[in-house]
Amino acid sequence: MLKKMNIFQRIFYAFCGEGKARKLRTSIFCILASMVFGGIILLLLGKNPIVAYKSLLQGAGILPKIKYPGRKNQLTDILNLLDYTTPMVFASLAVAVALKCGLFNICVSGTMIFTGILATTLVGYSNLDPFVARILVVIIGIVGGGLLGALIGWLKYRFNMNEVIVSIMLNYIINYIASFVINSRYADPISRESVEIGQNARLTLMNFEAMGLKMNISLLFPFAILVVFLIDFLMKRTKLGFELKSVGTSPLASKYAGMNVKRTMILSMVISGALAGLAGVAYYLGTYGSIQPRVLPALGFDAIAVALLGFITPIGCFFASILVMIFQCGTSYLSSRLGVLREIASLITSILLLFSACAVYFNQKADSYHNKFLMEDKSDE
Amino acid sequence: MEDYFVQLKHITKTFPGIVANDDVSIDIKKGEIYALLGENGAGKSTLMSILFGLYEPDGGQIFIKGKEVSITSPLKANKLNIGMVHQHFKLVSDQTIAENIILGAEPMKKKWGFIKSIDIDRANKEVAELSKRYNLEVNPTDIIKDIPVSTRQRVEILKMLYRNAELLIFDEPTAVLAPQEINSLLEIIKSLRDNGKTIILITHKLDEIKQVADRCAILCKGKLIDILDVKKASTQQMANLMVGREIELEEVREEVKKGKVVLEVENLSYKDKDKVSKISDVSFKIYEGEVLSIAGVSGNGQVEIADAICNMIRATSGTIKLNGKSIDHMNIRERAEAGIAYIPEDRQNVGLILDFPLYENLILKEYFREPYCSKHGILNFNEFKKQSNELIENFDIRSGKGCETTVRSMSGGNQQKAIVAREIALNSSLIIFVQPTRGLDVGAIDNIHNKINELRKQGKAILLISLELDEIMALSDTILVLYSGKVQTIEDAKNLSKNQVGEYMMGVHNNA
Repeated sequence: MLKKMNIFQRIFYAFCGEGKARKLRTSIFCILASMVFGGIILLLLGKNPIVAYKSLLQGAGILPKIKYPGRKNQLTDILNLLDYTTPMVFASLAVAVALKCGLFNICVSGTMIFTGILATTLVGYSNLDPFVARILVVIIGIVGGGLLGALIGWLKYRFNMNEVIVSIMLNYIINYIASFVINSRYADPISRESVEIGQNARLTLMNFEAMGLKMNISLLFPFAILVVFLIDFLMKRTKLGFELKSVGTSPLASKYAGMNVKRTMILSMVISGALAGLAGVAYYLGTYGSIQPRVLPALGFDAIAVALLGFITPIGCFFASILVMIFQCGTSYLSSRLGVLREIASLITSILLLFSACAVYFNQKADSYHNKFLMEDKSDE
Repeated sequence: MEDYFVQLKHITKTFPGIVANDDVSIDIKKGEIYALLGENGAGKSTLMSILFGLYEPDGGQIFIKGKEVSITSPLKANKLNIGMVHQHFKLVSDQTIAENIILGAEPMKKKWGFIKSIDIDRANKEVAELSKRYNLEVNPTDIIKDIPVSTRQRVEILKMLYRNAELLIFDEPTAVLAPQEINSLLEIIKSLRDNGKTIILITHKLDEIKQVADRCAILCKGKLIDILDVKKASTQQMANLMVGREIELEEVREEVKKGKVVLEVENLSYKDKDKVSKISDVSFKIYEGEVLSIAGVSGNGQVEIADAICNMIRATSGTIKLNGKSIDHMNIRERAEAGIAYIPEDRQNVGLILDFPLYENLILKEYFREPYCSKHGILNFNEFKKQSNELIENFDIRSGKGCETTVRSMSGGNQQKAIVAREIALNSSLIIFVQPTRGLDVGAIDNIHNKINELRKQGKAILLISLELDEIMALSDTILVLYSGKVQTIEDAKNLSKNQVGEYMMGVHNNA
């Protein structure tokens, strides 16, 4: 009745089994597994997967490219990567905070458009001093997003409405109102997007010239790192974080313990909304300078999977965001070097996110191996 | 050899930090009622889970009818004619009895000669026949959520019989039943044996074993202590072997002088969401050093009274005073702070957060105040752990990894000890116990009864809600009997006999 673990099971167990840094090992397993799958697809297309992955990393600035255009080098690529990563960090944190409290915030995309259009119309076209304008944009992001989160939480609290349905509907409502506003007043006749905002309100310094280079520097990225640590501290060490986790795990026991379950849920939605709002300003007033009407940013939905890949922990979200953005930023270089469609990188990213959603399953599977084969290990000794 | 249905040989099973079964060997004859007796965490359930294919053993062999088998899943156990009636029923509450019974083994028919569909008429007929043959009365077309717990248990038994189970494992079957339902279940078990079935009964209630079992294996801390012939062994002997020490089954009650009024409930009424009256016009007082028990058949409003006092549900009308002050306007936490400790009925879903570690659960009612939480809302986990270790020590809470253990992995008795420890540590003037010993073994029950007596001596007011009449008779100063939400009588415990309380519980004695 004893079975030997085969080589695949051994490898699988080494990654997903009990032990130290299990979450990290499982995440690495997911990444490697999706790269193997992606590799198979590339092979089927007749491309060399190693060259493909290398050019992906080169495109994202992790490895140096063979040659650079004028006034660009690896540093500018890395800065671009960080600029793209910043909104994703905020967005995945927004999902994680709500999930910790047992709520599913799908309104990250809607919130992003909401704060994006608010900040664009209120500050983006003004002549304010750059310092004041940028601070104002960030405040609009936090407050606007927080208010929207509060609205979702309140609707749940007051009318017992399902937050998922409310979130989805708000996505549409905000999206179409924003499109209406853009198309009626702020549309650029050539690009059909909103008129690009002034550099004074932009959260990314565009084409900043130094050391003979032209760089895009995200001003919000250091702030994102700070927020990661703040949320981590909030979750692990504070009374509010304890209540959030408690309500998320067992609302009934939390009520019994005297916690205000509904207030806690609203608060988690406020925090989640504020983070999503920050993602919005980082995206629309940082990475990009304009808003495309009638398009919900995919980033708000990808953030759900990124949060799962990061095991719903703030630090995990941070690294998962960087990883996913490496794939996305490296895409154009990959497709131009190998002559494959851009979609191949998106495909690999999607496979990765699919695997990461199965992380909990992988751990359970490894546990069942553990139960099955532990006895054999003992008899070997 | 042939007359053994099951032989378990040298079964060993370890979990991280705990040896659940240590070289256990038992042989069960065909057609006998074999009891497994042991405290919580003694390894009874683990042993049976191994036999039922839920766990695989680390070592040892299983023989069914003399042949060695490996049982890797409950499905395989079913194929070997082994059935288990779980403590927590596994039924689909929106389906009928017959639908639940056939689930996974549906009789099929072909509609119009080619469309496969479930033959529900045949299922209903078969279930009706089965229930008649084994004297397990059920109506196959009733919906599960409409039928009482005792009938649901019958459905579980029928489910096993429908799958031709020859060996039936009952996991603490009486824990969920009201006193009068227990006897009829025991009769059912006996008649199953007389019909040629083999029965394993997991329990820690000695009188039940005495009543029905032929032989009894006693487990203690994972080891097999002894196998007794039930007819020859005394209850006291079994109790001592099971706990591994002497237990006093009879307790002497000390007189405690009543102090001032702690809790005063006046005209308390509660209607649920559907406007059904659950409690009507209940009034009583509890004094310092008094144990007031609420007796009643399950579901007659006892739990609602406790919930209303703690504000887990909002009373529809009436006033509640604690130490002379009205607490009607207060929320759950304010009431707890004012001096109400509450040991709830559902310890796993209400009393504890199962996925949190023990130390967070032990401080669940105090985490928000100093020294556990600073003025700025920062938690101090060192203080959590310090206090937890103290409680673990004082209340003898056993777990695999000390205060870091996830509560889910602890045994029921130790989970309950954790709740009791936490609530007593609050040092409240009123302590509410709802079904504090349900599903616990003799040792743990003893421990909790001693705690209640001790608290009474310290001058606490105690509200005890229990379905165990013996427990109520042994511990109370005053007994309140509730029948469909109305007070039948409030009487000094000394003036009531067990039979009288029983009559009030059934609503027969209506002249009060």
